[in-house]
Formats: sequence, C-alpha cells, structure tokens
Amino acid sequence: MTTAMDAASIALLEETLRKTMATTSGAELDGALAELGWVEMLSEDPDLAIPLVFRLLGETGSHASVLNDVILETIGGLPGGTPPMPYTGGSWVIWERSERDGNPVLGGLPLREVPGGELMRVGEARRALAWWLVGSARAMLALARQHALDRVQFGKPIAAFQAVRHRLAETLVAIEGAEATLTAPAVGSPDLSSMLAKAAAGKAALTAAKHCQQVLGGVGFTAEHDLHRHIERVLVLDGLLGTARELTRRVGGGLRARRSAPRLVQL
Amino acid sequence: MNVSEFHADLRAWLDENDLTPGPDHSLEGHVQQFGRVCAALYEADWMRYGWPVAAGGLGGPAMLRAVVGEEVVGRGLAEPGPYSMLEVLAPTMIDYAPPELAAEMVPRLLSGREQWCQGFSEPGSGSDLASLSTRATPDGDNWIINGQKVWTSFAQYSTRCVLLTRTAPGHDGITAFFVDMDAPGITVRPLRTMHGVDEFCEVYFDDVVVPAERMLGRPGDGWRLAMDLLPFERSTCFWQRIAYLYSRLDRLIAETTAVDDAALGEAYLALHTLRCRSRATQHRLAGGTRLGPDTSIDKVLLATAEQKLFDTARDLLPGTIELDESSWRTEFLYSRAATIYGGTSEIQRNIIARRLLDLGKE
Repeated sequence: MTTAMDAASIALLEETLRKTMATTSGAELDGALAELGWVEMLSEDPDLAIPLVFRLLGETGSHASVLNDVILETIGGLPGGTPPMPYTGGSWVIWERSERDGNPVLGGLPLREVPGGELMRVGEARRALAWWLVGSARAMLALARQHALDRVQFGKPIAAFQAVRHRLAETLVAIEGAEATLTAPAVGSPDLSSMLAKAAAGKAALTAAKHCQQVLGGVGFTAEHDLHRHIERVLVLDGLLGTARELTRRVGGGLRARRSAPRLVQL
Repeated sequence: MNVSEFHADLRAWLDENDLTPGPDHSLEGHVQQFGRVCAALYEADWMRYGWPVAAGGLGGPAMLRAVVGEEVVGRGLAEPGPYSMLEVLAPTMIDYAPPELAAEMVPRLLSGREQWCQGFSEPGSGSDLASLSTRATPDGDNWIINGQKVWTSFAQYSTRCVLLTRTAPGHDGITAFFVDMDAPGITVRPLRTMHGVDEFCEVYFDDVVVPAERMLGRPGDGWRLAMDLLPFERSTCFWQRIAYLYSRLDRLIAETTAVDDAALGEAYLALHTLRCRSRATQHRLAGGTRLGPDTSIDKVLLATAEQKLFDTARDLLPGTIELDESSWRTEFLYSRAATIYGGTSEIQRNIIARRLLDLGKE
C-alpha cells in the first residue's frame, strides 16, 4: 500500500482486501492486513485507508481489530495497544487483538468489558465505524435483494410486490444518505460531523436490518443464512462509541446550547 | 470561478443592500417580493452567474445559482416557491426553446420582470403524467390547444407557461409549448387548499392558438423535456429549499422552550443528511454526470426531512400550530404535501426499486 494511488491500483487493492476478508477474520485477518501494509497506509493516507478497509469489513462480514489502530493513530498511542472505548450505557470495552473462548459478545466480536477508561478524541474512530456500518447495511441489502428476486410465491418473485420493493428502496435511501454524510468534506466542527455520520450510519444499518430481515422472511431467521451475522454485527457496532440514538440526542443538546443549527457542508 | 469566494462576495453585497421583505405576507406579496429581489440581483449581476451568456447570463457553473438561492431563501428575502419555478423553467427554455426565443425570454424571468408557470399535471394525470390528454392540433402555422391542467403553481401571476400537450399517442406523443398566459381562451382558477394559500391553480385551455415557433424542441420531445427538468429541480432548486428548512430549524431552536434534545437532534440529522446528499448530487452534476433515477433518493430525503422538521416543530411548540394563526401553521400544513408534489414518495420508491435496485417489473 502506498500513497497517491491511481484508480486502477485502488481497485486492485480493494479486490485484494475483499478476497482476504472473505477467507480470514479476527486475529488472522489482522495479520494479513499488517502484511498488506495497513498501518503505513493508515498513517500516510487515512482518507483512503479508513473508508476502504472499514467498508469492506462490513460488506464481507469479516472483522479485525483495526479500530484500535485508528484510535492509537489519533491519540498517538503505542502500536499494538487496546485503548478502552466507551460503549453505550456508560460502560467501557477493549477490542482484544486475540480471540478467547467463552466470549459472550453478540456475534462473537472480541470485545471485553473493562472497569473504565479515559476520555479521548474518537471522531476518526466514529467515522471508521460509520463506514463499517454502511458496508454491513449494503451487505444486508444485497442479501435481501437477491432473495426477493429468487423467492417465488403466488407464482412470481416476491420482488414484484410493491410492499417488498418499497422496503428495499427505503433501505437504499438510508444507506446513500449515510454515505453522503461520510463523503462530504466537513467545514468547521469535525467532531460534530463525525457524530452525525455515525448516527446516520447506525440508523441506516438498523433500518437495513429491520427491512432486510422482513424481506428475507423465515430463511433470514435461520443460523445457516448469513443475514444474522450482519444484524448482530451492526447491533454491536451501533453501541460502540455511542448509538445513533445517543449521538443524535447529544447533537440536539448542542443545538440548544448554541441556539442555531450549523451548516456543516458547503457547495 | 471559486464558489466559496463567490459566496463570500454575495454575502457581503447582501449585507450592504437591504432587500428585506415588506409587511405584505400574502401570496401576491411573496411573488412581488421575489420579483423585486430578482430585479436587484440581476441589476447587480448576481442573478446572471451560472446561466449561459446566450440566454443573458454571465456563465460559470450552476452551483453559483444554488449559492444565490441559498442566501436569498436562507435569509428570508424570498420564498422558495416562486424561486423554484425560475430554477426549473429557465434551464428548460435554454435547452429546448429556439435560441432566439430563449435569448429574448430568459432575461425577463431572471430579472424578475416575469413569473412563469409549469403546466404538467392534469385532473386525470398525476403520478401517471404520461397519460396526459390536453390536446394540441396543428392548424397551418399554429397549434390549437384544448384541455385542462391542475396544480399549476403561480399560474395567476404568470405571463408564460411551459405546457405539456398530447400530439400523438404514448410517451413519444407528448409535445411542449411556451404559451403566453394572456392568450385568448386561457382561464385560471386558483384552488383553495388546506394551508390557506392559493398557490395552486386549475388552468383551462379553450381553442388557445399558439404559434408553431413556440414549440419547445420538436413534436414528441415533451416527455424528455419533463424528465430533463428533474435534475434542475433536484439540484440547485433543492439547495434553496434546504436553506429554507435550516432557517426554520434555527427559528424552532430559538422559539422552543421544550427540552427534547432527541427530537431536535433527529430533525437536524435529517437535514444534515439531506444537505450532504444534495451537495454530492450537485458535484456529480458539475463533474458532467447525467443525473437520473439517483435523484429520487434526494427527493425522498427532502420530503422526509421536511415533514420530520415540521412534525418536530408541532411537538416542541405545543399548541402553536393549532391555536395561533402563525406562519408555523401554514408551513406545517404545506409540509404535508412534500411527499406528494414533484413525484410522490411512492413513485420515487418505485423508481429506486426498478432503476437503482434492478428489481425488475412489478
């Protein structure tokens, strides 16, 4: 991975990452990403590295402990560390770099509750999680779309029914809106725009989970279908560094304090 | 031209030149105020940037127009309604009218000397616009028009109408004309609506004679004209409506005494998401992308955000909408139409499902 890559090299890198994530996850994927130069890319070109890697984690359903690296990069922490991160409900977790048996976390992400932690700047980490959530939402939409085209009832694919189509359309609207909050260059407050981006992405992912689960019907509820992995993933990621609900409320409090609504993006 | 410098210069000019509306808050007052603002901005050249030189403009990217719209509407100098007609109809004229006609007419619109309207919907053709039946029949060098339009905004104040007619069956049988509203045989009847502002009209055409040189494009180009208009409606035009919505959120934050951070935050998140999306859309347009079904997403986000904002206003200003005759009431009620006009949210979702998600036919 190098900086200032052209479109063709970025596409190639994306393909490599996608293939790697399709076959590995967890500590093994951490190792593979390290070999691909993840840490260098993160420090040299975070605006390329973060959206690409985190979106693909979502799309592939894989996981890696790279959120640690984003935070360590921001706060200047020592490589390899696992800084405690705030989780919804006032608790703190660390993202362990190795798997352990008996992990109780929904969907098996290697998070572990710790007694406390220090407040730190998490704007960049929120954006990273937002990209992950957007990727997961796209993965759920792809599964539901395919099912709607394949599943025949009443003599036609269920994609032919408007109630089904509109759920999927609403899902795409939510995803595209959330992605726009991530790609718009923020003027002014980066912390506020990353809170909004994570809120929009969390909301989009929960919208996708709800609509796609419904469209997938019974099969989406089975363990053999992949949908539940994405649903579990977004439920957990939504809670990390603040749920969509919490962040939205906090943003609302900020509006009341400053008595106006900042226009964070300009043409 | 650098957009942010242009924006800064425009702000400075508007700070110096007071165009604050007078006390007349009637619909007619709004239309007059818009004309006054256009005249001043045209005189000072602001209204001419982003329009081609051939049509009386000074050139530059369309985003400059969006910036002017944002400032004018965001500052409350003009209402977004009359302004939106200019943003939608001037590009249509530039793209479809004979060049000399566009050169003659567009400056009249930009300079506020005229207001124009858009005759599309009919009593029998709302969501199914392509079924329209207002007929145009050739008669020597003229066309004779008969039929009825409805939901024609500002028709009672308009000097011209961009009118869709049927000249043959099917989508390819729709033909557009640029019609003088003072032509004999045109009757305009404003509709009474629930928000108490008679913006929408019925327009009747009885043997109205239109010269052939007033045709926009060629016979059968009408459907394409209608579709080509959407990118303007959903880019520069949306940007000013977004500015309007932010100004109302500012007002709500200032007026409410309720402490409901979640509700305020949600309304703001919806507006911010919409603004980010609209920015991306306008940059795609500026980069040469042809906008199409993707703008249905912008439309759904706008309609949803607008209703969310005014629902929040009703929640956080308890009783205001019901008990006082304030602009909150009018604007709350008008926001109920946001999911209906300009293509209902259901039609947008149909388009998203068919064209963006490739779900096949219903």
